[in-house]
Amino acid sequence: MRIRHPHPRSHARALAAVGIAAVLLASSACDSESTGASSSSGETLALSIFGTPNSFDPTQLLEGQQMYVWDSVYDTLLIQDNKGRLQPGAAKSWQYSSDARTLTLKLRTGMKFSSGAPVDAAAVKATLELIRTTPGPNQGVLASVASVEAPASHAVVIKLKQPDGSLLTSLSTAAGVIGDPKTMTSKSTALNPVGSGPYTLDKGATVNGSVYVLKRRDDYWNKKAYPFRTVKIRVISDQTASANALKAGETNAGTIDVAQVGSFKSAGFETKHVQATAVAALVLGDREGSVLEPLGDVRVRKAINMAFDRTKMVKQLLRGSGRPTEQIFNPKGPGHDPALDQTHSYDPSAAKKLLAEAGYANGFSVTMPSLVFTKPFEPTFTQALADIGIKVKWQPVPPQQSVSAIASKKYPMFLIVDGLNTTPVEARNFYSPTGYRNVFNSTDPELSKLLDRANRELDPAKAADIYKEINEFGVENAWYGPVFYIGSDWATKKGITYLGDGSSTLATIRQFGAADQAP
Amino acid sequence: MILYVLRRLAAGLVLAVLVTMITFALLSTSFDDVASSIVGSGATPDLVQDQKAQLGLHRPLFAQYLDWLSHAVRGDLGLSYFTSEPVRSAIAARLGVTLSIVLAALLVTVVISVVLGVLAATRGGAVDRIAQGVSMLGYLVPNLLIAIALVYVLAIELRWFPATGYTPLSENPARWVSTITIPVVALMMSGVASLTSQIRGAMIGELRKDYVRTLRTRGIPTRSIVLRHALRGAAGPALTVLSLEFIQMLGGALIIEQVFALPGFGQYAFNASLQGDIPIIMSISLFGVLLVVGVNLVVDLVNGWLNPKARILS
Repeated sequence: MRIRHPHPRSHARALAAVGIAAVLLASSACDSESTGASSSSGETLALSIFGTPNSFDPTQLLEGQQMYVWDSVYDTLLIQDNKGRLQPGAAKSWQYSSDARTLTLKLRTGMKFSSGAPVDAAAVKATLELIRTTPGPNQGVLASVASVEAPASHAVVIKLKQPDGSLLTSLSTAAGVIGDPKTMTSKSTALNPVGSGPYTLDKGATVNGSVYVLKRRDDYWNKKAYPFRTVKIRVISDQTASANALKAGETNAGTIDVAQVGSFKSAGFETKHVQATAVAALVLGDREGSVLEPLGDVRVRKAINMAFDRTKMVKQLLRGSGRPTEQIFNPKGPGHDPALDQTHSYDPSAAKKLLAEAGYANGFSVTMPSLVFTKPFEPTFTQALADIGIKVKWQPVPPQQSVSAIASKKYPMFLIVDGLNTTPVEARNFYSPTGYRNVFNSTDPELSKLLDRANRELDPAKAADIYKEINEFGVENAWYGPVFYIGSDWATKKGITYLGDGSSTLATIRQFGAADQAP
Repeated sequence: MILYVLRRLAAGLVLAVLVTMITFALLSTSFDDVASSIVGSGATPDLVQDQKAQLGLHRPLFAQYLDWLSHAVRGDLGLSYFTSEPVRSAIAARLGVTLSIVLAALLVTVVISVVLGVLAATRGGAVDRIAQGVSMLGYLVPNLLIAIALVYVLAIELRWFPATGYTPLSENPARWVSTITIPVVALMMSGVASLTSQIRGAMIGELRKDYVRTLRTRGIPTRSIVLRHALRGAAGPALTVLSLEFIQMLGGALIIEQVFALPGFGQYAFNASLQGDIPIIMSISLFGVLLVVGVNLVVDLVNGWLNPKARILS
C-alpha cells in the first residue's frame, strides 16, 4: 500500500506562518518610537477624556469633558474665566433692559469662521434660532427666549418671555455657540464643524471616537489665552489606561485617581487637587408625599439628612478627595453659605426621634434606582439609612434608561452625582418648578418669590444674597439630602499647568497654561 | 461543495435577519428612553416626543424594521444617534482594529500551540511538563492581569511599546505591529493554553493508532509521521477548539481594548449599548452573526480539506 502524502503546500504554509509570526515579534520589539505628545514645551497639549464626544452639530453639543473639543472649535457669546466669572467672548459687551426681559449683545468686529466667512449678528441669530427650534439637549436651555433679532450687523437683541437669571451663563456654554450659517445645517457639521473658535479640527489626523486633533488659528482674537499650538484629545474610557498613557508620555495632562497622586508626583508630574467638581446628594423629590407618604413630612426629610456621617464618608468612600456638604450649590459660587453646613449634623438617635415624632417610629421602606454612578455608594447609603430605620431597596436601571427612569416620577427619592454648575443654573435645575432635578415640580410661595427676584436682579452682588436665601430655604426645608462634594486630581507634565480650581465648571482648553505663560 | 457553501451562507443570512429582527423588537421597549437620553435630563416630555418623531421611532415597529433592513442590504447602516458618524464606516474602521488583534492572536496561538503540543506529545519528559505548565498558567492567570503586568513592564518602565492607542496597518506597518503586540500577547494566553493541551492530547491519541505503527514499520521517518500524518489527524478537534477560541477572543478583545484604549469593535459595541444607540446596536448584531457564521463555515471547510472523513459530499 502506498501512503498518500499530504499536500506538499502544507509545509510551505506552516513555514510562512512561522515566518510572519517571527517578523511580527521581531519588528515589534525593535519599534520603540514614542507616541509622542511633546512634554517639555507648551507646543502640544495632549489630554485624555473618558467618553466619545457627541455630534458637533451646534444643536447637539453637550457639556462635560467633551466640551474641550467643541469649545475649541466654536466661539461662545460669553466665556467663563478660570474663576467662573463671565467675561466677554464673541460678544464684547452685553446689557439687560431694566425689566430684565431684553438682552442686547454687541459683537466683536473682524471675527471670521474658519471657512473665511465673517461672524456677524445674522450668524448669531441663525444659530440661536436653530438651537431653540431643534430637538436636542440645549433646546430647553433657551426656553425663556421669545425672539432673537439682529438690528445691526454686530448687535443682537434677545427678547425673553420672562426674566431668566441663568441665561448669561447659558450663553457661555453650548447654547451660546456661533455656527457658520452656511454649513451648520448640513450633515457634515456633525463630524467636521466650522466655527470661529481658537482651533480648527484637523480632519486628517482626527480619528472619530478615538483621537481629536486641534490646530490653533493664528488669526484668533484671543490667541493669548491658548498657549498650545496643537491640542490632541484622546478618548480613553478606562482610568488605568488613561494613567498609563500619561506615565508613558502618550498624553501630558489628565485626571488621575487620588491614590496615584503620590506616584505621579514622584515621577515628576505636577499635580493639582480640585476640591469640588461634583455633588452627591439624595433628591428627596416627593415633597407632597404622593408616592411615598413619609417624604411629605419635613421632619422625615430632615431625619434623612441627619443619617449621614459625611466626614467619614468622604474619608472612606472618596479616600479624602472631596469634602462634606449639606448644600447642593457650588462651593465656589455666590449662593454657597458655609454656615449652612451645620444645619443637619450627623445624629442617628435624633433622626430616629424625628421619625417617631412624624409617626414613623418603625421606619419605612423605599425603592431607589440603582444607576451606573450610584453603584459604588449604595452600600454606605443603605447602611446609613438602615441605621435610622429606613430600608432601601435598589432597583437596577439600565444606563440608557437612567434619564427617563428618574423623570418618570416613579422614584420618590434617588441618589444623584451631578457635575457642579454656576449658581443661577443650579437654582434653575434644583429649585424652579420646571427644574429637571425638581422632578415632582414642587413649589413654595416663599421660594417662588425668591426665584423671581433672583431672575430679575441685575446687580450680581444683590443676586448673590438672593441665591443664598434660596440655598437656605432648600437646606432648612430639606428638599435634598446633600452628602459630599467629589473632588478631582489633575496630573500634568512639567511645563503644563492646570489652572482650574473648580470655580469654572466648564471644560475648556483655557484651563491649561504653559510654563512660560503667566496663569 | 459550492452548493453546500451557498446553502450555509443562505442559512447565515436567514439567521442574521432573525437575530436583527429580535434585537429590534427588544430595543423597541426603550425607544422613549433613547429619545430622552439624546435630549438630556432637562427636557420636557414634549421635547422627548419631538426627538422620537425626528428619529422616526414613532412609526409602526415592523415598518421601521423593514426600512432598516432595506437600507442595510444596500449597505446603508444609518448614522449614530449621538455622534452622527456613519455606522458602516465606523464599524469598518473598528472591526479593522479588533480583527487585527484577534487574527494576530489567533495566528500566534496556532504557531505556539502546535509547536508546544507536538513537542509535548512526541518528546514527553521535561518538555511535556514544561508545555503542560505553560498551558496551566495560561488557564489560571486572567488575561486582564497579564495585560496590566505587560503594560507596566514593557510600556511604562521599558518603553518598548506604546501603552495605549492604535495605528492602522495602512498608515505605518511597524507602528501597527508595535501597537498590537502587547494586546495580542495578553489575548492569546488562554487560547494557547486550551489549544496546546488539545493538540497534545490529540497527538498522543493519534500516535498510538495502528496506522502510525504501520508507517513506522515501513521505515517512514518519525518527523514525517508526526508532521504529515499524525498532526493532520489531530487537526480536526483542534480546529473546533480554534473556532470557539476565535469567538471567545472577540469577547476578550472588549476588555483588552479597554485596557489599551484601542478604538475597537468591542468598545464601540459596549458604548452603543450603554447609550442605546440603535443604528449601531443593530449593525453590531448583524456583523456579529455574519462573523460567527463565516468563521464556522471556514473552519468546516478547512476541516474537510484536512480530514477526508469530514469532507462534504454534495
